[in-house]
Formats: sequence, C-alpha cells, structure tokens
Amino acid sequence: MDRNLADFIESPVMQIVGTSGPSRQPEVARAAGAWSENSNSLHLVVSAWQWPQTITNLRDNGRIAVTFARPSDYVSYQIKGVATLRAASGAERERSSRYVAAMISVLMKLGVMPEMASPWFTNKDPVLVAVEVASVFVQTPGARAGTRL
Amino acid sequence: MTIALEDLEACFEGVVPSIISTADSDGAPNIAYLSVVVMLDAQHVAISNQFFAKTAMNIRLNPQVTLLLVDGRTGAQFRLSCVFSSVMESGELFDRVARQIEAENAQIGMAGVMRLRNLDVFRVVAIEAVPSAVVLSEVPRPTREGLAAVAALTETIGAATDAGGIVDALMDGIVRTFGFEQALLLQLYEDRGHLVTIGSVGYEPSGIGSDVLVGEGLIGGAASSRLTMKVSDLSRVRRFGNAIRQSALDENRTRAITLPSAPEAMSQIAVPLITRQTVRGVLFIESRERLAFTMQHETALLVVARHAALALALSETLSLEAETSRHEDGSTLTSDAAINVIHHAFDDSVFINDDYVIKGVAGRLLILMLTQFQESGKLDFTNREIRLDASLKLPDIKDNLETRLLLLRRRLDEKQLPIRLAHIGRGRICLKINGRLKLHGWRISNAPGR
Repeated sequence: MDRNLADFIESPVMQIVGTSGPSRQPEVARAAGAWSENSNSLHLVVSAWQWPQTITNLRDNGRIAVTFARPSDYVSYQIKGVATLRAASGAERERSSRYVAAMISVLMKLGVMPEMASPWFTNKDPVLVAVEVASVFVQTPGARAGTRL
Repeated sequence: MTIALEDLEACFEGVVPSIISTADSDGAPNIAYLSVVVMLDAQHVAISNQFFAKTAMNIRLNPQVTLLLVDGRTGAQFRLSCVFSSVMESGELFDRVARQIEAENAQIGMAGVMRLRNLDVFRVVAIEAVPSAVVLSEVPRPTREGLAAVAALTETIGAATDAGGIVDALMDGIVRTFGFEQALLLQLYEDRGHLVTIGSVGYEPSGIGSDVLVGEGLIGGAASSRLTMKVSDLSRVRRFGNAIRQSALDENRTRAITLPSAPEAMSQIAVPLITRQTVRGVLFIESRERLAFTMQHETALLVVARHAALALALSETLSLEAETSRHEDGSTLTSDAAINVIHHAFDDSVFINDDYVIKGVAGRLLILMLTQFQESGKLDFTNREIRLDASLKLPDIKDNLETRLLLLRRRLDEKQLPIRLAHIGRGRICLKINGRLKLHGWRISNAPGR
C-alpha cells in the first residue's frame, strides 16, 4: 500500500468485509473505521455484536477481503490478506467513532438521512482486525475493475 | 419472525447499493458492490454482474453466496444466504432489467455504456435481519389502492364520451385516487415515431404538445419496451438542468414545446398504454417521495392505463358516428382585431399572432379548417368529413384523429388565442374565431405529403 491508498482508506469511504466459513460459505460485514499501520498492514474495527459470523470466521481461518468505496464517485479498492483479532482499545474505539461521524456527514451531503445510514455503522463490542496485506485490486466500476495494483 | 423475499420490496429499488460476498474453491473470500439486484419470484433473485470477473468466477467454483440488501426507506439491512442456480441471457424479465438499466443510464448521459450481458440467478436459502444498534425509523406504509378505488376510476374513465373526457378522468384519478400530484399522458404517433403530451396535471406550463422520441429516456423506453419503467431515487441520478426553461420564449424560436419536469422529483414511473398488443401511449407520473411507486401502484396503474387505452381507441371509432350538434355560435365576434395566422409548409408549424401553436399533422388540421372557413364560412366540422378530406392526403391520421384534435384544442386554450376549438358532441367540433382572420404563407396543396 502506498501513501495515496493509505490516505484513501483513512478517508470517509464505505468499508465492506468478506470472509468465509468452514464449508466455504461466504459472509458479509461492514467495518466501522480503518487505518494503515505500515505499507503491509491495515487495522479495521468490526462490531462483534452486529457481525458475529464474520468474527467467528476470522478467528477460525483469518482470510479476509475488504473493499473500500467512495460513495460520491464509486472509486473502490479491494484488499486481501490474513487477519488476526484482538479487542479494540479505548483509543481505537474512539477513532472508529470519529470515522462513523465523518461517514454519516458525507452521506448526508449525498442526500442520505442520518436515521437511514445509522443502522450501517456501529462499533458495539468492537474487535480490532489487523490485516497483513497480500494483494490490492482496483474495483472502481469500469475497464480496470479487477486489476491488481 | 420469518422474513419472506416479498417483504424486501424496498431493497430492490436500487436506492442503496447491495453487496455480494463470494469465496473461491479454496474458500478465499471476495466482496463487491452490486449495481442491480432484482426479485424474480418468492425464492429467486438475480444480479447483474457488470464488471467483476472474480465474482463471476467464484460463483461457478463455489455456488454459495451471501448478499447484503438494504431497505431504501429505513436503512434496515438483510443478509441473504443464496445458491447460484442459472444464468439468464434473454426473455421477458431479462429485457425488462436491460431496459431499466438503459433508461437509467440514458438519464445520466451514459446511454449504451453499461449494456446488460446476462443476469446470474440465485435461489434464496435463508433471510436474516442484521441487528441494528439504533431504533429503525418507521416504515411509511404506502397507500394501498384497493380494487374498489381502481374499479371506480375505470368506471369514470369508461363513462367519458370523448377523448378529452377520458384524458381528464385519467389525470383526475391519478391525483384523487392515487394521491400523486404530477402526471402526463402521451399519445404515440407512429408516423413520426414520437410520443406527444395530450394530458397534463400539476405542471405549469402544462407541456401539452411536447414530445419525446420513442426509445428516449424513461417515457420513450416504456413505449419501445412495452414495459413499465421506474426510477425510485433520482438523487442518485445526475439530472440535467433542462427542467426550467423559458418555454414560452423558446418555443417560438425552436417550434418545440418543452416536456415539463418537476425539479424536486425523487421517483418517476412510465406505464405504457397497450391495446391489442400495440403501444398507444405512455402514462408518466412523478413524485417528490423516494420509492413512491410500490408494486401495488405498478399493478393498479397498469390496469388503469390499459383501460384508458381501450377507452381512447373506442372513442376514436365512435367519433366517426357524429351526433347531432348542439347549437354553437362559432364566430362570436366581440373583437375586430386582426388574427394573423402563419403556416410554414415545410414542417406544418402554425403561428397565431406570432405565438407558436403546433406543428405536424395537428397544424395541418388547423389550417384545413381555417381554409374552409375562409372560403365558405364553414365553422362546424365532423371527424368523418375531416378524415375524408382529400386535400389532407394523410392516411396516417386515421387512427389518431380524435386525440390530435384534442391536442390542438388544448394548445389553443392554453395559449388563450383568439382562435379556439369547441367539442360540440361526439365526433363534432366547432371553430371559434374572435377577430378578423388573415392567413399567410399557407397553401394546403403545397403541404408536404409526409
């Protein structure tokens, strides 16, 4: 991950998480805040209360796909890697809350009412998901979608 | 509580993007947003996967997928466990989705950019509500138009005796029965491949006489596809600011009447009028509400639109049997002012006192009647004699004379011109000319025989 991608990930963009269970059953979740630790590592906050199966899958096999998408223009990147989990610290939860507030503001500017968007973002029972990045893909709709960075 | 696919109607309107999670044969996950998810029946959904080859490959290696759908009214999230079952590349439903995508793209200036290649069909195994940490907002229940209300409206439409009465009953019903405030009725004129507005409610100016090409935008798309088309959240669609134009000034220069549009509209629906498998026109409605048009609305509007189409076709036939005319004094001359009528033969456009009135066949009809008045003082006309008039040489008007005369009558009224048309009984009209008529630049025999 270069600095531009790290800045993109840390800006108010939608964060969706893919995992899979023991029978290869895919699972879906949303993250509530993300930041890069270094060029190979990424931290996410995911609510274990809202997305328990995702947390179970990550504890079992660690395999993760995360897509970051900017709602104003659909610029998107998908990051794949392996995750380890721990409980989020107070500071990390605070950082997650700042992300949620920024995201709600961005969506409001796009005409989405806060009461509509609020169900999508919670850091109740927050888990810190540390991702060792293996690959990054462009996922913006268009000719380059799916190409590896 | 078990959640059924039918309960998720507001998730399939494209207001909030859906998400698909897949895994390959080794279980490596992939996650992406989806542009289109549609409900096929109580057990199946279909997705359009326009760009993501990885998702397409994964579902062929491992048919299990999980979708996340979002209710476009409340934000409530639903997790659907599904199994990939087939690929759809043609058929009625495929055409419907393809046309919907085309119409939406055309509205944002991207016509032809994202052509639908296929739909992947999934069987839904389980549906769960994702817990929300906040209390979900109340779902505003849509008004469920009962069959009785629809029946009453079709009764009113059926009771009307001429095209004007049918159009008025339909427009009035859209407001009173359905509670929508803005609607247009457009008639298809196949000779020029366009739809012309003959009924309007809630717009100022009304846009009577404005036209749309078949295949263009939501209205033209409904006509070419013969399918109901709708947009449930226009804020997601970049809108071009052509709504508020100085139409009165423009139309004198361009000889084109601006199609009215509600700048604050959030939802639009276009329902084709079809009789005997032929498209006759389109009913178009706009609303300020997101997701204003439910499936119940679609069904009810389809019934009403089909009924109006039949009534209009019947009125056309019956208009050939002219009633005895009521007494009307056509040329009630209260003014001595000159009325200058200019006819441009190349497009049959007609201007009265420098105001653009109409062009095409309706313009030719007006000139025909004014010519006869000039030559013989004739003011009353029957549909039958207009149709038989050899000077028109227009076999193509035989199916739509009644609505063309209605269009002409409404335009003259809206422009408050000193020449009007009055409906004086079935299949009969009467010229009302308030002033001294002067015709310029016209010769009906020179009119191009298109």
